[in-house]
Amino acid sequence: MSRIGVFICHCGENISRTVDVERVAAEVAKLPGVAFSTDYKYMCSDPGQNLLKKTIQDHKLTHVVVAACSPRMHEKTFRKAVEAGGLNPFLCEMANIREHCSWVHEDMEEATLKAIDIVGMMVERVKKNRVLPAITVPVTKRALVIGGGIAGIQAALDIADCGHEVILVEREPSIGGHMAQLSETFPTLDCSQCIMTPKMVDVANHPKITLHTFSEIELVEGYIGNFQVTIKKKARSVNEDKCTGCGVCMTKCPQKKIPNKFDQNIGLRTAIYVPFPQAVPNTPVIDRENCTWFKTGKCGVCQKVCGPGAVDFEQEDRLIVEAVGAIVVSTGFDLYSIAEKPKGSPIKGYGEFGHGKIPDVIDGMTFERLASASGPTGGKILRPSDGMEPKQIVFIQCIGSRAREKGISYCSKVCCMYTAKHTMLYHHKVHDGQAYVFFMDARTPGKSYDEFWRRSIEEEEAVYIRGMVSRLYQKGDKVVVMGSDIAVGVQVEIEADMVVLATAVMPQKGADLLAQKLGISYDKYHFYSEAHAKLRPVECATAGIYLAGACQGPKDIPETVSQASAAAAKVMTLFSKDKLEREPIVARVREVGCVGCFACKKVCAYGAVEEKEIRDRQGNLIKVVAYVNPGVCGGCGTCQATCPSKSVELDGYTDEQIVAMIEAL
Amino acid sequence: MKKKKMVISQETMDLDFVRKVEILSDTSVRRCFQCGKCSAGCPMATFMEHPPNRVVRLLQLGQWRRILEGRSIWYCASCETCSTRCPNKVHLASIMDALRKLSWDAHGPSKESYVQLANKLFLQNIRTYGRQYEMRLAAVFNVKSGQFLKDLMLGPKLLAKGKLKMFHSKNKNLSEIEKIFSRIEKMRKKGEAL
Repeated sequence: MSRIGVFICHCGENISRTVDVERVAAEVAKLPGVAFSTDYKYMCSDPGQNLLKKTIQDHKLTHVVVAACSPRMHEKTFRKAVEAGGLNPFLCEMANIREHCSWVHEDMEEATLKAIDIVGMMVERVKKNRVLPAITVPVTKRALVIGGGIAGIQAALDIADCGHEVILVEREPSIGGHMAQLSETFPTLDCSQCIMTPKMVDVANHPKITLHTFSEIELVEGYIGNFQVTIKKKARSVNEDKCTGCGVCMTKCPQKKIPNKFDQNIGLRTAIYVPFPQAVPNTPVIDRENCTWFKTGKCGVCQKVCGPGAVDFEQEDRLIVEAVGAIVVSTGFDLYSIAEKPKGSPIKGYGEFGHGKIPDVIDGMTFERLASASGPTGGKILRPSDGMEPKQIVFIQCIGSRAREKGISYCSKVCCMYTAKHTMLYHHKVHDGQAYVFFMDARTPGKSYDEFWRRSIEEEEAVYIRGMVSRLYQKGDKVVVMGSDIAVGVQVEIEADMVVLATAVMPQKGADLLAQKLGISYDKYHFYSEAHAKLRPVECATAGIYLAGACQGPKDIPETVSQASAAAAKVMTLFSKDKLEREPIVARVREVGCVGCFACKKVCAYGAVEEKEIRDRQGNLIKVVAYVNPGVCGGCGTCQATCPSKSVELDGYTDEQIVAMIEAL
Repeated sequence: MKKKKMVISQETMDLDFVRKVEILSDTSVRRCFQCGKCSAGCPMATFMEHPPNRVVRLLQLGQWRRILEGRSIWYCASCETCSTRCPNKVHLASIMDALRKLSWDAHGPSKESYVQLANKLFLQNIRTYGRQYEMRLAAVFNVKSGQFLKDLMLGPKLLAKGKLKMFHSKNKNLSEIEKIFSRIEKMRKKGEAL
């Protein structure tokens, strides 16, 4: 005979406002099997948990039902308390009388009756609960970091400094990401390259970090502590082991006029190239689309001039498999463009700004490259159309961002600050020029951020105009900006030499595909979702996968670095134990009933179902049945629903328990 | 007032004028971020076509003509509520003073404003008599402003109460007062005073 303890929580007033908790406790006490029933103001508080523990011992309880909030909120809390009270944690169930009852009802009488029903169902269910022993799985103490921008670099360095091996995978030929493209950084105006490149070199030299550049994630299998990741190393056409990085191949390559993506396509590069001189690794890549050898089969100059014989036209894509225990995703961001978008795309371009066809209308990142000492103009601000120094420069904020009509309703967070920085860089380089900024709001929350913005106006003479620009058009060699100043309430017209647009921050292209490979969730913009916006901001809902940087949402550098270190700390916490305990809510196969159809194997999202041979003592094969690997099983229950012979059951959610609940109604 | 489109360029933004205002008022117009607190507390804002915050905004854009054409600066009562409450330490009352002075020097592009005329006559009276002679002030103001009958009916009442004197009385120390006036004039020529 079970002795069930029922604890009804007031949740302050959240529950007791609409549910008569005392009456629920009195009614439930009458149910068969219930040995104890009470109500308490805050069950989750320390005294509440102590009450739970004490009652288990005093009343020799065998099962516990806590009627309070959603199990998502506090199931772990109460199961821990039950365990401390001396029971198996899985003999505790929660009845959700907050989200499912008090919050959604107004009538006290009806809500109370419903609460009694809900608690009654859980009482019947908990009677059928079994003792479930915890499952332990081994942890591979190696981490994978996807994306080699500042977030990935920081996370990789932190984990590696702690003594664990790290595999850093980067899609581009060099690590560095967007931060390497920047000229100077707000709010201190220190040079981005100066603070970035030493970290890049640290990554390359770290004995614990294995760097795979020009590589992509092909396949991710396994689960927390035990991932198998297939990495595609794209054909570089240059042998990384032989190449010394002398750069002769690049000087001799006859294809010299290919737009360099790193310089936002305003600078030029050769077909065999490193994206920028400070690249890590300093090993060139052959761009096969533009290389004469790959197009016509002739040329091969780079191969002839290469001293160590590193150029290898025959190289092919290679797949390598790495075993890791944790994954940090730091794939970063991409910038919105005002260009025309394909039909049906939820994101739209800016026709009123010429769809990007006006040559002197550039985006913020292009301005960064113009202002950068290592950029295509050597740090001179020259406009793309005729190379003239712009004397009247207009910056426009919130391009794409906060524009529901264009398909993006979020704030890109960094634009206010980088535009203020741009006006300063411009003022430092073009003394007789004037910068104008059209803005809606200046959002500068951050240490020394507002001061920085005010400085651009008060000391660096930028003219900020509150109001948006309705149209841009070419007139002679000028770009006419038609805007408004809403503080004065008049239309404003400026004939500018160059216009810089602060375009929205968007997730990397293909972010959704990577998320599908990893089995993590993403929002409608394809930013990756964290497990909890406030309390678990660097973890994915999928165990063992962590987020860092702008792949989760627009972020500036300080925030990205903090999050990367936080993700690294989470990885180190995971690696601090040799074995990982996980919830025993897994599926089990009743081998007697299983006919070996393997419908469960087809539907399993985790790849947890294996085939198991059953043999008699002589070793004769009797039948092949399904076997669920408890280490891999995610406990989703799809197999249970699919099995035609009802031979799979999910522990904690057995048919018996569910039927008992229904019958209690 | 017609709302003209604002064409902004380095030529149309007369920042030299703004610098003059900033020197005269010993405050920075760039500091203002248009929170609107000055206009919120201004007792005269309802009479102004450009409320105080917009006066500063137009200065930031070097559009001083728009300010001086209007009457806002003359309606300012110099109560200094704006300066007292400004979160950014923009001394708006001083800016108004400076603008009035610059408008005066430019012989007032503001044709509407009788305030300027009244101020001028007020000081002339002080200089001549050493104290105010209201009867003359009112008469000359009405003649010069072309509104001969303005407030005429108030005259007898004020006379009866002794608020208005028929004849002027001179200050004994007129020469001392003249000294003040000439000193200020000298300082003005040197640019040391408003």
